[in-house]
Amino acid sequence: MKIFVTGYGLISAIGEGEESLSAFKAMRTGIANGDTESTKAYKLGVVKMSNEELRTKYALHNSGSRTAILGMVAAKKAFEGHKIIKGVKTGLISGTSVGGMDLTEKEHKKYIDGQMISPSAYADHSSGVSSHGIARELGISDFVNTISTACSSANNAIMMGARMIKNGILDRVVVGGTDSLTLFTMNGFRSLMINDSEWCRPFDNSRQGLNLGEGAGFIVLESEKSIAKTNKDPIVELKGWGSTSDAHHQTASSENGYGAQLAMKEALGIANLKPADIDYINAHGTATPNNDLSESHAIKAVFGSSIPAFSSTKAFTGHTLAASGGIEVVFSIMAIKKGLLLPNLNFSTPIEETKLTPQLTYEEGRKINNVLSNSFGFGGNCSSIILGK
Amino acid sequence: MYYIKAISTISFQDSFECDNLYDSLKGINSKSELIKPNYKEFISPLALRRLSPILRMGLTNSLDCQKQLDEEIDAVIVGTGLGCLKDTEKFLLNFNTAMSDLLSPTSFIQSTHNTIGGQISLAMKNHGYNMTHTQNNVSFELSLLDGMMCLKEGKSNVLIGAADEFIPFLNELQPELISDKYPLTSSSAFFIFSNDIVESRIGIKNVHVSFDTEDIDGEINNFLAQNKLNNSDIDLILHSDVNSKLIEENSNNLNYLEFTGINFSASAVATHIAHDYLKGSNKKHVLIVNGMLKSGLGLILIAKSEA
Repeated sequence: MKIFVTGYGLISAIGEGEESLSAFKAMRTGIANGDTESTKAYKLGVVKMSNEELRTKYALHNSGSRTAILGMVAAKKAFEGHKIIKGVKTGLISGTSVGGMDLTEKEHKKYIDGQMISPSAYADHSSGVSSHGIARELGISDFVNTISTACSSANNAIMMGARMIKNGILDRVVVGGTDSLTLFTMNGFRSLMINDSEWCRPFDNSRQGLNLGEGAGFIVLESEKSIAKTNKDPIVELKGWGSTSDAHHQTASSENGYGAQLAMKEALGIANLKPADIDYINAHGTATPNNDLSESHAIKAVFGSSIPAFSSTKAFTGHTLAASGGIEVVFSIMAIKKGLLLPNLNFSTPIEETKLTPQLTYEEGRKINNVLSNSFGFGGNCSSIILGK
Repeated sequence: MYYIKAISTISFQDSFECDNLYDSLKGINSKSELIKPNYKEFISPLALRRLSPILRMGLTNSLDCQKQLDEEIDAVIVGTGLGCLKDTEKFLLNFNTAMSDLLSPTSFIQSTHNTIGGQISLAMKNHGYNMTHTQNNVSFELSLLDGMMCLKEGKSNVLIGAADEFIPFLNELQPELISDKYPLTSSSAFFIFSNDIVESRIGIKNVHVSFDTEDIDGEINNFLAQNKLNNSDIDLILHSDVNSKLIEENSNNLNYLEFTGINFSASAVATHIAHDYLKGSNKKHVLIVNGMLKSGLGLILIAKSEA
């Protein structure tokens, strides 16, 4: 049974949907210093619209945390032109790590400062509530789920959706991820000392850490049976997926990227493809010293001496955590559809140990048949997906 | 059938290493407490000091399940409604009050929902499938659905559980956000499921979730019909204080919140109760109706197969 993508949508610091391509083309990052007292020390990939501006521009009926609102924008775009049809069992699976933390942290600060608690202000805290809000915005009520495996959440949500279609539980499913910027995660990565106060430099020898970002990316997956009823055009096929555990350390990846190797190999196996069939890898590439080294080793182990063009797009968007797999799957779809290789910004010197040079320029007119997209998270969660023509 | 090969539960009942949880059920009140197993049997004292209750419970239950199985586990699936609240609260307090340069990362690292699954895979050195579902009160049911798919896809032993922890702050949200009819509690229950038949012949037959359901009885009826059963075939209905004519009509129904208290992983504890009910009797079917929130309804059918 084949599973097709029949819609996609994203919003990030470099804009929505195809707008992102002009940023890639111009090598223009969406990352800049924060503009508030508590964020000015950070380089961040901010979506430059307030919650209310987003709700007005995208005519959202529902509200909620910023995580939910960003998710609604991207998922609504992906689901555009789709209808709820009787007999097409439709679900929504969203990946998120912060959920409604953007609201909780504001409210909790007031509580710490001795103000009265307003219980309703916590109603949107739970990650499940943000996903349910996105589903309601789309009119989806058959099935809702939230995956929370840190930075691999969206890739795992995509994989979950594919498996639910394969197992006959759903016919069509909107999958992806969303996360908003929060002081919680900014302080968290700062406490781990893997925030770079300069622009992040994925796969560069001088990389010091990540720049956080926010956004959301969703795609619509459908079975052939569903497409027969919805009449949607398949854009690309979701061919493979793999999810494994590195089981090395609570936050760090193993040096040889063992879990990542397993995930990539598993995805290739399910897709029934050889490493040589992959034309582009959208790497996780967070620009932390640990991830990029580990991922480089893992890519070398899986692809041997013929490594396909690869890049991390996180120097454009920032690391959007649970949303990253959702945003990057949309980039991957555009790469296949338009024959693109996407550039890796801020690179000058290969990592000493692995000596890999990522794709440095924006290229059009290439024949891209299959793309591998990686997402790895805290807790050792490694997830890879493969899309193709 | 997805057979239950191992069970381990930490709750407000005497549920850890117990003979029969159903037989030993006691109503809980505001003075009841979470049981304290000898965690040191499973976790080193050094590691234990760093672990919040939800991580201690989840890790201990998982290692206890593994001990009962003595075979390789090929998937770890965890459900949690609200995740690692204690570390989340701690880190919030920390970065809002601590001198900014003295921020300890430990509570941040341990605040993400997948810390439970991550700690389990680390302790077991397990490189297999590892997933964390969080959908309020039906997180366990969604984990079961995932696990059932894993078994259909060819995996042999799948560890599935759900854990949630209480923090005193939650009391502040009552009764506006959370019912105050039963005490707020913590619990963790883990199981190993397999396609292989087990001596008890007890397993999960089917699971169903629905959202924003107006007609609970209609959902239950459809679910029973799908499984070729009538209400009269159900020997026990365990429910989360659900108002339903159909549940009332079944003379043997029990509100499990009286024993588990309120937390989003309570239906996992109810699954243990259901298992032990079947274990100690010649009964065949238990239905768990989890309608703790109006937004999500979970139905779990637990059965004993024919000898």
